[in-house]
Amino acid sequence: MPDRPIPDAAVDLEPSSRPGVPMERTPQPMPGARVPIRVQHSDVRVFKHKGRAGFPPVFGTAQPPHGVSGLLRKVAYGYPDHLARHWMILLLADRVDVWEHRLARVGPWAVPTVGVLALTGLAWRKWSRA
Amino acid sequence: MRALTYQGPFKVRVENKPDPRLEHPQDVILKVTRTAICGSDLHLLHGLVPDTRVGHTFGHEFTGVVEELGSEVSQLHKGDRVVVPFNISCGTCFYCQRGLTASCENSNPSSDVACGVYGYSHTTGGYDGGQAEYVRVPFADVGPLKIPDGMEDEEALFLGDILPTGYMGAEMGEIKGGETVVVFGAGPVGLFAMRSAWLMGAGRVIAVDCVQYRLDFAERYAKVETVNFREVDDIVLYLKELFEGRGPDVCIDAVGMEAEGSLGQRVLGLGLKLEAGAPTVLTWCIDVVRKGGNVSIVGVYGPPWNLMPIGTAMNKGLTLRMNQCNVRRYMPHLLQHIREGRIDAKGIITHRFPLEEAPKAYHLFAQKQDGCVKCVLTPGHA
Ligand SMILES: [Zn+2]
Ligand SMILES: [Zn+2]
Repeated sequence: MPDRPIPDAAVDLEPSSRPGVPMERTPQPMPGARVPIRVQHSDVRVFKHKGRAGFPPVFGTAQPPHGVSGLLRKVAYGYPDHLARHWMILLLADRVDVWEHRLARVGPWAVPTVGVLALTGLAWRKWSRA
Repeated sequence: MRALTYQGPFKVRVENKPDPRLEHPQDVILKVTRTAICGSDLHLLHGLVPDTRVGHTFGHEFTGVVEELGSEVSQLHKGDRVVVPFNISCGTCFYCQRGLTASCENSNPSSDVACGVYGYSHTTGGYDGGQAEYVRVPFADVGPLKIPDGMEDEEALFLGDILPTGYMGAEMGEIKGGETVVVFGAGPVGLFAMRSAWLMGAGRVIAVDCVQYRLDFAERYAKVETVNFREVDDIVLYLKELFEGRGPDVCIDAVGMEAEGSLGQRVLGLGLKLEAGAPTVLTWCIDVVRKGGNVSIVGVYGPPWNLMPIGTAMNKGLTLRMNQCNVRRYMPHLLQHIREGRIDAKGIITHRFPLEEAPKAYHLFAQKQDGCVKCVLTPGHA
């Protein structure tokens, strides 16, 4: 093993030179921080888990809940996040979400196609019996 | 705009979606110039993170140019080049005030396990990420760091996550000088943890992985000794023996929930989902490290639980330290390390793709093909 494996090895030997030491600093607002934080408005449904007292002032609004997966997510967020069922229902909702999107994509041509095939089949049976 | 979107487990594609807009007076909209794929994005890709919705845009490592400003933003100006921490932190809450920006209380309604994170499912707040042409950046005066003139975006890119995360991994090992350090995982975070361990005065650093090209890369890049755990009978006994039968002083877990190495854990955690992934590396860390030693966890594990030998840790008197990285506080210090040549951050990039080819990049990275260590994506306009 080389004595100095990389340039400036041990330059951060002194713990106080490390940005995360001590782990907790004396409380003070960070540079650039602004109070009060105004409350974000949202036109779409955003869930808060049951274990959290209030809504935070800022949040994401991507991919609002929809359909059956949205209902499942609503149920999941009705439980606080220390309960396994909160997470298990969310994982289930994720799989349902994927199937909902697949159906939505194939639906426009798959539903008419299946309908036409079924009608043709019925007609064929009726005709062949006659 | 063009953006990567999640379509279900193992499937992403690039498609058109609406541009992000300012939703809060402290927001900016950033025109993304470089964005990276992170190892933790693979947990999302593989459908392991609860509340990952179809259409979600991943990406929590990015640089960009300020395009649009919220009415309360005063420190940034249109045209500024910035690198953004993956944590969305307000700067004023109980935790931010104490430097624990990864625990910010003001950016995630969905769970208490983490603060808001860009492109990391609705469990971390439901923010679309940076693997897109544009991204919404909240609390813009607090998080983003301006990239100095004369410095390329790619040189600063990794200040947003993996470099601070690797550094913090070594820091939580509480190295005082001369310690023996074993880093599990020779991926990007592991590589930076190894370099950082040297900077903190480690006496010996060993990388453990099962992907040989990554171990070779670590040997060159981080000047460490390497062990391929597939080539030894029992990695725990092997490593203990290497350090006088006691084990090393410090073990760092830079792998997380999708570890190789234990069929049982993979079946339970990744197959049956009866635990949150496979905590094989964490188990090894606890078994390998010497009594009274230090285990540092920066690998990502999910809720709600994992099977790990807490009794062994207790009986051995270990110190376990772990956290999502509080990125912002590390940025100035590590920027200095990059500028002074102590860490060649850009040097881990092995692949560059246009954003349009992101699915291919994900595949290459996930399958560890073509010597891939780190993929960087460039949106069409950049
Ligand atoms: Zn990352
Ligand atoms: Zn905060």
